[in-house]
Amino acid sequence: MKKMVHVLLLLAVTAALVFAGGQAEDGEAQGEEPMVAAMATDVGGLGDRSFNDGAFAGLEMGEDLGFEARVVESNQQTDYIPNLTGLAEDGAEIVFAVGFLMEEAVKEAARMNPDTFFGGIDIGGDPEIPNFQGILYKEEQSGFLAGVVAGHMTAEFSDASPKLNPDPVVGVVLGMFIPPVERFEVGFIQGVKYANPDVEILSVTAGDFVDQARGREAGLAMIEQGADIVFHAAGLTGLGVIEAARDSGVLAIGVDIDQNDVAPDTVLTSAVKKIPESVYAVLESVVDGTFEGGTQTYGLAEDATGIAPFHGFDDIVPQAVKDAVDQAREDILSGEIEIAQTRGEIQDLLD
Amino acid sequence: MFDYDFLVNLLSAMVRNATPIGLAAMGAVVCERSGVVNIAMEGIMTVGAFTAAIVAGATGNPWIGLLAAIIFGGIFSMLHAFATVSLHLNHVVSGAVLNVLALGITAYLMILIVGHPGTTDSIPVSLSAYRWAIPVLSSIPLVGQMLFNQTPIVYFGFIMIPLFTWFLNRTKVGLHVRAAGEHPLALETIGVSVYKMRYLGVLVSGLVGGMAGAYLSIEGNVSFTEGMTGGRGFIAMAAMISGGWHPVGAFIAALFFGLADALQVRFQVFQVLNVPEELFIVLPYVLTVVAVAGLVRRSRPPKAVGTDFMIERTED
Repeated sequence: MKKMVHVLLLLAVTAALVFAGGQAEDGEAQGEEPMVAAMATDVGGLGDRSFNDGAFAGLEMGEDLGFEARVVESNQQTDYIPNLTGLAEDGAEIVFAVGFLMEEAVKEAARMNPDTFFGGIDIGGDPEIPNFQGILYKEEQSGFLAGVVAGHMTAEFSDASPKLNPDPVVGVVLGMFIPPVERFEVGFIQGVKYANPDVEILSVTAGDFVDQARGREAGLAMIEQGADIVFHAAGLTGLGVIEAARDSGVLAIGVDIDQNDVAPDTVLTSAVKKIPESVYAVLESVVDGTFEGGTQTYGLAEDATGIAPFHGFDDIVPQAVKDAVDQAREDILSGEIEIAQTRGEIQDLLD
Repeated sequence: MFDYDFLVNLLSAMVRNATPIGLAAMGAVVCERSGVVNIAMEGIMTVGAFTAAIVAGATGNPWIGLLAAIIFGGIFSMLHAFATVSLHLNHVVSGAVLNVLALGITAYLMILIVGHPGTTDSIPVSLSAYRWAIPVLSSIPLVGQMLFNQTPIVYFGFIMIPLFTWFLNRTKVGLHVRAAGEHPLALETIGVSVYKMRYLGVLVSGLVGGMAGAYLSIEGNVSFTEGMTGGRGFIAMAAMISGGWHPVGAFIAALFFGLADALQVRFQVFQVLNVPEELFIVLPYVLTVVAVAGLVRRSRPPKAVGTDFMIERTED
């Protein structure tokens, strides 16, 4: 009997601690109720310096529209549906799902809660679900511009920085091989080849979005082969890639948001997608009553993709490279450069 | 492709991959030799990695972070010892609960301390800044770089191999620890407390597991991410079993896994086979299953591992 009590006590304490991590903060739910704009993170969670943080920044911007931001963390993939529906049932005006891996979950939640608006970052829309707006980005454009920088810097401007070597080799680390990540990679490869067809591009898929050690090993394996610029589209795993570059004295290119502050002397630039701004645009449409289902695609034309400033590398990156980036940006906008989105379409570049 | 530099780099990567797994595996060996099944290594590593990043970030000194990781790994493991030895709880149940507890407690504390979940802020200096190439030895061809140009916790891992072997096989306390796992009643009969020996065994696994966690967060990288242990605690169990519950065997098994992982990344870099990356990624795990399945028949667990030991005390 005594043993039983101990067991129950242990279980109760564990359960309390585990669930404490997933609780939403709802201290001021009483009284005059503000509209709630909520999001459920994917397993990477806040603090990923990437799309989860980006979506949250968008919610916080929404405070001047009268929204109150609310976040629930997902510790595993089975949390997605309960988290999303829970937020809807708690009276949130709009609920965002963040990340391609939540696609099925958010569509299911939107079907079950037709009176709540849903948004999905990196998730395509569905004409059957009018209360769900999918938000996609043209990651291949950001990847392309980052590739233009990398392709020029690793080859003809390799003496601009002591962190670059004469080998015309760059690397890219992917988290998992999913469409938004593939678009970053494929865009990057095309950008590098556009800048200089002789540059070799190494690619490794880490298989994970949180395991930094895997990212580091993937980065080191490419740096050993002469890669002096490593680009990552790997979420938190990518922090390991940046660390590998820092530790080996080469350069890295960040992803999603400006990651220069992760390692200011290592991160040359970042292939960004402006998630906060597009989340804000959705919030505005909710307030105006102009919310639409379907898919919204953001790209250079909406100023939602591109590369981050060079920060400390501004003096090191030659004007010729900056001009090449500007030229490429114009050519993409005018349609002169067409960027493929899948590996299948660029097979001839890879061989 | 398979030139000299490639081999040197491959071997170094093998050791880097193997260090956290090998450390945890050796800790688990001591724990299980004392008679306590320890599937909580994953949780202990999580606690160690978290503590290391927080303390190293707050003090600016990674050595203090390492020390804190070892201490808190030890403290956390004491929950396992208390549950299994003092409360006579099923060892597997306690271990499973602790793994979940570690995830919950670190996520909770991260919000309290860092202010947001996910990833801690970067620490200013990591232990990799203390890489030490031992003069002369590090210039030995082929193996010099792998063995003698490494970072602190990797060296600690090397030192632990003979240390634990000596402790288990050559010291009186080590003999008592082993007796607690083979024939606890005999040990109690000669007047040595089985409880104490089992507490000691679990404590060792906690201290070493904390260090293994610190390797991931403050030596290999510069921050803690929820889930960053990535199942290495469980791979360590596999290494312990295929290593025959012996420190040397356990570390060799960890090296084997590390080699497989280092190879699969390089296969991807060189595009050796045109197959989906996922096949490469699972390669080390498949090899681990094969190794455990192939070696497990020849490896014998401690006779009394996982069994409860309760002293009958007459009350008078």
